[in-house]
Amino acid sequence: MNLLGLEYFKIRRKKIGIMILLFLAVELLWTFMSVSRSIARNPDHAVWESVLFTIASMNGLFMPILSAIVVSRVCDMEHKGNTWKMLAATNVSRSRLYAAKYICANSLLFFGLLGQALLMTVFGLVMNMSDAPPVGMLARFLAGATLTTFAVTALQQWISLAVKNQTFALSLGMLGGLIGMTSGLFPAAVRHVLLWSYYLDLSPVTYRYADASGVYVSQPLDYGWSAAAFIIALLFYTAGNLHVTRQEI
Amino acid sequence: MSASAIVQTQSLTKTYAGIHRVNKVDLVVGEGEIYGFLGPNGAGKTTTLKMLLGLIKPTEGSLRLFGQSLSKQRPFILKRTGSLIESPSYYGHLTGLENLRIIQRLRNAPDRNVDEALRIVRLENQKDKKTEQYSLGMKQRLGLAMALLSFPKLLILDEPTNGLDPAGIGEIRELIKSLPGRYGMTVLLSSHLLSEVEQIATTVGIINEGNLLFQGTMDSLRRKSSTSITLKTGNNAGAERLLLTQGYHPVQNNGRLELGDLDDAQVAGINRLLVAQDIPVIRIEEQSKSLEDIFLELTGKGRSL
Repeated sequence: MNLLGLEYFKIRRKKIGIMILLFLAVELLWTFMSVSRSIARNPDHAVWESVLFTIASMNGLFMPILSAIVVSRVCDMEHKGNTWKMLAATNVSRSRLYAAKYICANSLLFFGLLGQALLMTVFGLVMNMSDAPPVGMLARFLAGATLTTFAVTALQQWISLAVKNQTFALSLGMLGGLIGMTSGLFPAAVRHVLLWSYYLDLSPVTYRYADASGVYVSQPLDYGWSAAAFIIALLFYTAGNLHVTRQEI
Repeated sequence: MSASAIVQTQSLTKTYAGIHRVNKVDLVVGEGEIYGFLGPNGAGKTTTLKMLLGLIKPTEGSLRLFGQSLSKQRPFILKRTGSLIESPSYYGHLTGLENLRIIQRLRNAPDRNVDEALRIVRLENQKDKKTEQYSLGMKQRLGLAMALLSFPKLLILDEPTNGLDPAGIGEIRELIKSLPGRYGMTVLLSSHLLSEVEQIATTVGIINEGNLLFQGTMDSLRRKSSTSITLKTGNNAGAERLLLTQGYHPVQNNGRLELGDLDDAQVAGINRLLVAQDIPVIRIEEQSKSLEDIFLELTGKGRSL
């Protein structure tokens, strides 16, 4: 806990909170405008599923980029001031420092996703959606997005700490965003290899095309792909941790 | 390992791409010493210090600090060790005080240590300024304060006076000299400046191209600065032949005869002998090697440091 507290202490004045807020505000505005237009065109779309699906697909674009930026901000300060070397020369193990950074970055992003779920609820209520807020679906949406974020940040932290030049990590985040946004177009076999596509895959709602139009369909919780996302997160975290803690400084 | 050695390495070696950056170094730093680790740039000083702190792994050899193996007792050792390696480490977006607070929390040090460290490096008035606005000298002072903060038993400083102005160098020199007496610290510092090490260190290790060429007390290094008598005569070849018959071992060098260390009576006798043989004596000079000569001789003459 001491080390985690230290990570929060170190990111003061980094304005990471404001950045997350602005980033998600843009995403939500975009989503809410899109859903509002969709409802205006087709009143059948005034269902919670439309908001959940649109946000999940938007997260495929925004969250990989936001995760890359947040993780980069948390890790880059150690490169800029040569402080990773200083920390490694203390009696604190590098594995614990690595874990503290991971928890710090993910906690910030989790609060962002939590805020997102709350604003979705508010938006649904304002738009007079047909039913009461679907708490179960919202919880599953939050769990899926969080699990996918865990996997994405595990990869991003590995890159951000192992490679000093953060352009590399940020480019990977942008590439992830591109893949996350277009993942619905890939065949399932390809999609499941690309971790950024799990924002959509672990969403409780999907969209099925039928002739000229489409419908929002609830999809059951897929334990297999949830486990896959968890394993990807674990693999990237373990590989990154082993690499960075053994890296010569 | 000797009972009072705080740092002891055996055949410590680090190889990069087949090149020995550090080659079979046997370093011994005794308790309470100020050990000056001297060598030209790229000699292997920083690599050795990084191995002592576990930042890089030795290719071969072993190292023990406080009598313990670093690979087995890393937390125990690093808890008792403060360090400043290469350039000072700092979080630029935080103030000097906030940077020290980070180390304080990492080291579980009391508040008074922060105040004391700030006072020692004279940064009390700059503690609330962001460190990215610090000058290089101030950053170096902050780095020293961070290394000192837990008042460790062993302090490892890599080129501690880098970036400091002459007054600052003097101050830090006096500070380092006072550490063993005031706080019971052992100091291992590296430098490429002989004059700096000469003024601070009690023990010295000279490293060049990864090889430890000398290790001993400063006094034993000074003892190497023996004197030598040189002669310049009107007939050096004749003088050489004559002196060889008298049991001396002159060596011709740059138009002079080098005779090694002689006492006054011997010098007077040689002068008398040469004059008696009608060989004009032009100069009799006593030359003593400075520490710099010894250092250059050990590390390779004429090489830029």
